[in-house]
Amino acid sequence: MGVIGKRVAYYPGCSLEGAARAYDVSTRIVAKELGLELDYLEDYNCCGAMESKNVTFMGTMLLNARNMSLARKQGHNVIVAPCNGCSFSLQRAEYFLETDRAVFEKVNALLREGGVDPLDQIPQTYHILEWFYHEAGPQKVKEKTRKPLRGLKVANYYGCLYTRPHFYARTYAHAGGQEEEVRPRRRDTADDDEHPYYMNALLEAAGATSVEFEPMHTQCCGGPHSLSDEAVSEKFVMMILQTAKRNGADIIATECPLCHASLEMYRHRLMLKGVPDVDVPAAYFTQLLGLAFGYSANDVKLKDNLSDPLPVLKRLGLA
Amino acid sequence: MAIHERSLVEPERILRKERLVVDGVDVSGDWNLIILPRVINDYDLDFAKEIINSPDGKTINQCYQCSYCTASCPVHNYWDERYNPRHFIYLARLGLIDELQKRADVMWRCVSCHKCTHRCPKGVLVEEVLKVILRTMAKKGLIDEYPSKKFDKFFTESVLEYGRIEDGELLFGWIEKQGYKVFKDPILKKPIPFLGETPEWLKQLTIKPIKSMNIGFLVLNAKHMLFHPRTKNWSRFKQVLRKVMQEEGALSH
Ligand code: SF4
Ligand code: SF4
Repeated sequence: MGVIGKRVAYYPGCSLEGAARAYDVSTRIVAKELGLELDYLEDYNCCGAMESKNVTFMGTMLLNARNMSLARKQGHNVIVAPCNGCSFSLQRAEYFLETDRAVFEKVNALLREGGVDPLDQIPQTYHILEWFYHEAGPQKVKEKTRKPLRGLKVANYYGCLYTRPHFYARTYAHAGGQEEEVRPRRRDTADDDEHPYYMNALLEAAGATSVEFEPMHTQCCGGPHSLSDEAVSEKFVMMILQTAKRNGADIIATECPLCHASLEMYRHRLMLKGVPDVDVPAAYFTQLLGLAFGYSANDVKLKDNLSDPLPVLKRLGLA
Repeated sequence: MAIHERSLVEPERILRKERLVVDGVDVSGDWNLIILPRVINDYDLDFAKEIINSPDGKTINQCYQCSYCTASCPVHNYWDERYNPRHFIYLARLGLIDELQKRADVMWRCVSCHKCTHRCPKGVLVEEVLKVILRTMAKKGLIDEYPSKKFDKFFTESVLEYGRIEDGELLFGWIEKQGYKVFKDPILKKPIPFLGETPEWLKQLTIKPIKSMNIGFLVLNAKHMLFHPRTKNWSRFKQVLRKVMQEEGALSH
């Protein structure tokens, strides 16, 4: 415990300041309760998500390097992002900056040209779930729980980029065919690649029960193609929702605004089409933790969720 | 006899006979099926070179064709088995452009889940490499416009303009790009939900928060749609970004 740091730069990402406001609000609540401090990254820009990287390599490096530079300016070595896409983008940039000297130098020159401080050091990015797990952990969550989520059966949905790919998020890089130890960084903090369990552990500590959800817990929701390739996304979301429902879940816990939006949007469309077993609502894991810590449904903005988890939570007397 | 990766063999090349006699020997039964050889008459080795020379595509040469990536890929497994990352890498390295073009309708379908990259035993950045293959094909005019590329461009241009994206504008802007008529207010030229054409599912989806009267949420998102959140101190950085993208040939104008 305690390897990442209690005070970190917080990169919320565009989504959390708009449609996923609930995630932002509840994340702040949970962090405060767990005694952790988020230092808002002033004037950040979009990480480029999964889209820009297909259009421009250097441009995407620059977008992320600018955010890293802002974090350095605020005196941080660690950035925490609550979105799978954002944490992936920052980690990807970290990987290329670290393994490719030419990229690093070019990026720094361009940053200078654009009026941004060049990087003296490359800050490391963690997903907020890892941070909560390592800096607070299940024990602390248990201590803080005032209203246990008793009887709530949760399907913990991690999505793709929280665990994948391991060498952006992990210890070593493959530079030019050789496995090089770049620096021993994330080996101790990253979640299990194929069987992630941090969210299960935190929610279980808050009194919830996790249902069996493999392998759908890391199955793609359609992600960056949610809007551009509806047929595929719809099928993937159907598989996820049906597995959750048939395994007895009351609710799906999410940890990425894009996964969350995709699940909710396609859940709605699938229900319109009359597809069976897709009516499990979704909530951010921080919303559920917030409820367990004694906050009201209004505090964690449960009404923002389009899939409306309130009836289920009310039935169990949790909201 | 089972044919492995059946989707890779064109039906014209599969010969199946009830009774088959080769050089006077009756080989009926297990041996009644023949796959005719493939004739390669055009290849372009410069294609692979261009991929190897890009920072995100250089790992392509580490591939030893084990197909772990394909076995992991959800698009291959649950959508269309013609989507085959291992095969795309193979074709790109050999420079068999026409074979790649035959698969243009599925090649863009990668959902960037990174199962392939994650599991590749050789450290190939498979997802990145596939995107570089697509990017290179598009740059050389070897592939038509495909939906995800349109969206990627649309998204990136929004980032370039404002420094940040806004969900509502992204959604309605994309709907407009798909051919729906979106109504825009005359002054700020921003899309106004419900007044124009909206897909039925979206209408119903947006009615929900209105019904549950979540005023704060609505006001926030409406505000963002009218006044796009911006990154301050963006203009100088934007110029550099634009320059870089122009160098890479990534801007359409
Ligand atoms: S898993 Fe890696 S080595 Fe195996 S076929 Fe795919 S890219 Fe090649
Ligand atoms: S990233 Fe693309 S190619 Fe790789 S496994 Fe996922 S969908 Fe398949």
